[in-house]
Amino acid sequence: MDARWLEPDAEAARSAGERALEHFLAAGFARIEPAVLHPAAIFLDMSGEAIRGRLFLTSGASGEELCLRPEYTIPVCRAYLASPEAGRVAQYSYLGPVFRAHVEGGERAQTGLESFGRRDAEAADAEVFALAMEAGAQAGAPLKARLGDAALFEGVLESLALPEVWRRRLRRGVAHGKSLLAILDGRGASVLAQPGVLAAMESADHAGARALVEDLLAIAGVDAVGGRTASEIADRFLEQAALRSGEPVAAEKRQALDAFLAVSGDPDEAAAKLRRLADDARLDLNRALDAFELRNGFIAARGVRIEEARFSAAFVRDFEYYTGFVFEAADPAIPDAKPVLSGGRYDGLMRRLGAQGDIRAVGAAIALDRLPGKTS
Amino acid sequence: MTPAAFNEPPFVLAAPSKGRLQESAAAFFARAGLEFVQGRGARDYRGALNGLPGVEIAFLSASEIVGQLVAGAAHFGVIGEDQVREKTPDADMRLELLAPLGFGHCNVVVAAPRAWIDVRTMSDLEDVASAFRARRGERMRVATKYVNLTRRFFAEHSVADYRIVESLGATEGAPAAGAAELIVDITTTGATLAANALKTLDDGVILRSQATLVASLAAPWGPAALKNARAILDRIAASEKARKSREVRARLNGDARKLTERARALFDAAPATGDAPDPQGYVALHCARDKAADLASWLLAEGAERVSVAALEQVFDARNPLYEALEKRIGPA
Repeated sequence: MDARWLEPDAEAARSAGERALEHFLAAGFARIEPAVLHPAAIFLDMSGEAIRGRLFLTSGASGEELCLRPEYTIPVCRAYLASPEAGRVAQYSYLGPVFRAHVEGGERAQTGLESFGRRDAEAADAEVFALAMEAGAQAGAPLKARLGDAALFEGVLESLALPEVWRRRLRRGVAHGKSLLAILDGRGASVLAQPGVLAAMESADHAGARALVEDLLAIAGVDAVGGRTASEIADRFLEQAALRSGEPVAAEKRQALDAFLAVSGDPDEAAAKLRRLADDARLDLNRALDAFELRNGFIAARGVRIEEARFSAAFVRDFEYYTGFVFEAADPAIPDAKPVLSGGRYDGLMRRLGAQGDIRAVGAAIALDRLPGKTS
Repeated sequence: MTPAAFNEPPFVLAAPSKGRLQESAAAFFARAGLEFVQGRGARDYRGALNGLPGVEIAFLSASEIVGQLVAGAAHFGVIGEDQVREKTPDADMRLELLAPLGFGHCNVVVAAPRAWIDVRTMSDLEDVASAFRARRGERMRVATKYVNLTRRFFAEHSVADYRIVESLGATEGAPAAGAAELIVDITTTGATLAANALKTLDDGVILRSQATLVASLAAPWGPAALKNARAILDRIAASEKARKSREVRARLNGDARKLTERARALFDAAPATGDAPDPQGYVALHCARDKAADLASWLLAEGAERVSVAALEQVFDARNPLYEALEKRIGPA
C-alpha cells in the first residue's frame, strides 16, 4: 500500500472514504473498480484541451494516447457499458485514487456513486444527493450545498423561443459565470466586418445565403476545404445578419432572463418564485418546475434539510455534460472553499461514450482530501 | 587557470546542430569576434569558441537545447523563442531570455481555411467552434506541434471547443487532408499557408519569435562561468552597439561641453570615450547609424570645418545591461 496512506491526513481521508463507501454499499450501490488507463481522447473530448495539462499522459503499444483516469464518472460509465448490465438499471459506488498532474503527489483519493438507467429520475437525483451529503456529514462538519437545475434553464431558453445562436451563447456564458449584460452585449466583438455581405443576407433565406456564399468562394477561387460546408458558413452569415439588424433579444425576454437568473435561496421558496415568474412572463416551465418540486420533496423526505441548501438559477455547469439537477457542497466554515462533493444528472453522456440510446445517469463524487475535520 | 576555474565544470553554450539557424548563430557570434570552432568534421557535436578557451559549444537539436537549459546542463543557449515558450510553460521562472538575436524570425499563428470567409478573428473562431460542436457533437480539430502555446492562446481568447491533433510535420496540409479543421504553425512569409488555402486570423499571431540568447538559471554559476558569461555578453553587446552606431568627429572653436550636451538632447549622441569633453573643442560622438548624417550637418552648422563619420568595430561599455539582467537573476559572483 502507498506509504502516504500512513500520514495522518491520508489515514483520516482513507477511513472517511471507507465509511462513505460502506454507506453507499448499504444503499445498494455495488462497488466497482474501473480501469486506471483510458484513451485520453475521451476526457479531452468531454472537457476540452484545457485539461490536457492536468492529465498523466502515456501511449499504448500502437501509439494511441492514453491517460490515467483523472476522475471516476467516465471510467465507471465505460465499465458499465462494457458489462452485460449495459442499458439496465445499475447503481455503483467506488473508492480509490484519481490521477492529476497538478495535484501534489499526482493523485487524490475519491469516493462516489453513480446511478444508471432509473426512470424515476427525481427520486434517483434525491437519493444520490442525499447519500453523498450523508457521507460528507459522517466525516466531519456538515456541508453547505448549492443546487442548480440545467433543465430549468433550458426550459426558459426554449419557452423564450430564442434563436439557436443566442441559446448557445447564453448556455456558455452563464456556465462561465458571465453576467447577462456581458453575454448579450458582447456581440460587437464577433459581428462580422463585412457589412455588404451582411446587408445582402438580411433579406436572404437559407438557400439564397448558401448560393451567395458559394458564389463568393467561387469568385475568390477558394476550394471549400476544411471541415465546414458552404451551408454552415451561410448559416453563420444569416445569424450574424440577424444580430446586426436590431436588438438581439427583445427587452421583455431579456427581463425574463434577468429575473430568472436572479432567483436564489431556499429551494422551496425558489420554486414558488419561479412559478410566479413563469406566470408573469408567460413561460411554460411546468414540466421542469414539477420535476424540480418533486425532487425537492424527495430530498426532504430522505431527511436532508432542504431549506439549508441554497438554490441558484444561475448555478449551471458545462451544458454539454450536465442535463438537469446539479449540486456541490463545501465546508461553510471556510470562505470560498472548494467543493468537497459535487455531481449531477448527465443523461447525454452514455450516448457519447458509445451507447446505442440515451441512458439516464446521475452521480456524485467526494474529494476525500477536502473533507472538513480530517486533520487533527 | 585559477583554482576555482580548474574545479568548475566548463561553460557550455548550446547551439543549434544544423540548418540555417546554426549558420546564422555562427555568423552572429563571429561578428562579435567569437568564432565557432567545430571539432573534427561537421558531424562532431562538441566545439569551442575561438578566443574564449573556457567555453565549450554543444551542438544540439532545438528541443534538446531547451531541455539542457532548463536542467542546467548548459549555461547559455541560442534557440528560437517559440521553442522556449512551447517546451517550458514557466520559461520566465527557469530561464532568462537575455536578448533577441535578430535572425530566425518566424511567427506562430492560428490559420484557418480561406474558405471560412466568415472567420477573421479569434472571436469569430470561438463562435464557430462552439457552433461546430453544438451541431456535430464533436470538437473542432487543431493540428499543431505547439500544443502548449495553442492551449494557452486559445484559453486567453476563451476558445474552448476544440481538440488538438498533434502533428509533427507538414502541419499545413492537415486541413486539406481532412485530419484537422485548422492549424497552429510557424510561418515566415505566409506562402506555405497560402499554397494550402489557409489564412492567418487577424489577431491570430500567438508569438513573434526569433532566435534568442537564453541563460539557464539552474546551471552551475561559479566565478569562472560568470567571467565567461560576461566576456561573451560584452563582445556581443560591443559588436551590436558598434553595428548600430557611428562615430562622428569634428573640431569646433571653444569648449565642447555645452555642445556635447545639446548633441545628446538632439541626437541621443554620447561622447565616444566617456563624459569628459575636450576644452580644445575636439568632439567625438557616438550616435545611432541613421542619425549620423543629421548630427554631422548640425556640427557643421555649429562651426565645425570638417566632420568625419566612421563605422565602428566594437564598442565596450563599463555597464552591460545584458550581464546586469543575468546577474539580477542569479546573484553576483
